[in-house]
Amino acid sequence: MSGERVFMMGKFAARFPTDRKYAKNHMWARAEGAGYRFGFSAYAVRLLQDVYFLEWSIDAGAALREKQAIGAIESSKAESELYCPMAGRLVAFNEVLLQDPSAINVDTYGAGWLFDMTGSGQSLLEPDDYLEHLADAWKIAERTIKGQFNED
Amino acid sequence: MARKLTVVISQGQSANPIKRKLEEDLVTALLGEPGLELTVVPHLYDLAPDGTGMLCLQSVAGDMVVASWLFARATHWLLDRNGIRGQPGQTLLVQDESDEEDEGEADQSEADAKPRVIDTRPLPERRIYCLDLKAYREAQPYADEIRRIRNERAVQTITLLGLPATAAAVNSAEPAPPVASLQAIMAVPAPDASQRIDEDTARRWYPVIDYSRCTNCLECIDFCLFGVYGIDRVDTILVEQPDNCRKGCPACSRVCPESAIIFPQHKTPAIAGSPVGEAGSLKIDLSKLFGAPDALEVAVLERDVELVAAGRDAVGMQVGIPKRQTTKAAGPRDELDALIDELDGYSL
Repeated sequence: MSGERVFMMGKFAARFPTDRKYAKNHMWARAEGAGYRFGFSAYAVRLLQDVYFLEWSIDAGAALREKQAIGAIESSKAESELYCPMAGRLVAFNEVLLQDPSAINVDTYGAGWLFDMTGSGQSLLEPDDYLEHLADAWKIAERTIKGQFNED
Repeated sequence: MARKLTVVISQGQSANPIKRKLEEDLVTALLGEPGLELTVVPHLYDLAPDGTGMLCLQSVAGDMVVASWLFARATHWLLDRNGIRGQPGQTLLVQDESDEEDEGEADQSEADAKPRVIDTRPLPERRIYCLDLKAYREAQPYADEIRRIRNERAVQTITLLGLPATAAAVNSAEPAPPVASLQAIMAVPAPDASQRIDEDTARRWYPVIDYSRCTNCLECIDFCLFGVYGIDRVDTILVEQPDNCRKGCPACSRVCPESAIIFPQHKTPAIAGSPVGEAGSLKIDLSKLFGAPDALEVAVLERDVELVAAGRDAVGMQVGIPKRQTTKAAGPRDELDALIDELDGYSL
């Protein structure tokens, strides 16, 4: 069993396996063949909560830039555009999620994978670096969440 | 003929429990109501042209109400493309009011008298009422509106033909052959005059042409380089190969001078077929002042991205670019022209 890192989001312990890398936009990236398999990190899933709908605006085979808009997601807590985690070519999507996205919540680091890409992945972070990134991101996220609640 | 009113509920793609509940509440509210025949189908846009869902809808001969998670205009012309044609029914639900009037056979005495494709292609007499499930959060307004439509029809039928109940009973005892065979295939006896069509659908992406706006100028067929558009036997534009379309790309809709091309799933309401009405045109988008590219430039960029993604060469402004201004009729100037002139006056 490989190790994991833990990041506390308030009282919630978000867990991050150390057998893979992470992208700054809160996706995990596990090396696979000539590229990586991506999925949402526990941090992203905690913020999204139940995922209802996932949609990709590009086809498999597309060459992508980092941060290029590639789709959209709807969950119980958010609606958001999704962006490409690294430069490379998109190989395949997890088609199962299009009919039933619940695996994202049930098996975040396994069956809930989003897509496979080829690419060098030089912009991806090691787990410890991702945790440092989270410390900053979480402060902003807390402010954003509180700000939105205050408006209601 | 006093047929039952067919009510089609098209399910959304999202598993959002609020949306699913609205669909189910609507079914529950209408189940067992006299004069209605309920059918639940998967998301209309994703239905295959020759799939069970479309075949079922094609077999409906009389008036129908179609409730879907799409703008009414998108639903209407999506059905039209699949041979499910009829007059746009007048609905009293707010979001659609202005739009439905627009689409009525009578011209709204607009100064603009361009011939539209719809002029040469009369719609059958039966009515299709398209309801947008995005407009209200509860099922109640939809259920009320569907009952209103049923009652409105019943009144008309009594005055014209008398005794609708008897005719309806005969009709339901002897369903039209296509319906019967479909029910046999699916082994669904349609209890309570309701049925659910389960079709394995995959996400699709393609344009839908609004023929009440289309002038058959053919700019779209020149612009699209992926072979989506074609010409029918009487030289009218049609979406011939919808699945050739590049996922997410709405470029042809930006090029269309009449805003007749709808991408029902696009994020921008105007492209997704929102009613074009007074509300929208009151506000003027000033993003152009702030350096946003115009629609044609955006379309060319989008097309180039898709060409490159498909392993082809970008063509930029070289291919299929409309020469719109040269043929522009010297019509009377309106407020918008004056405004544009004012904008041109700024030295930017």
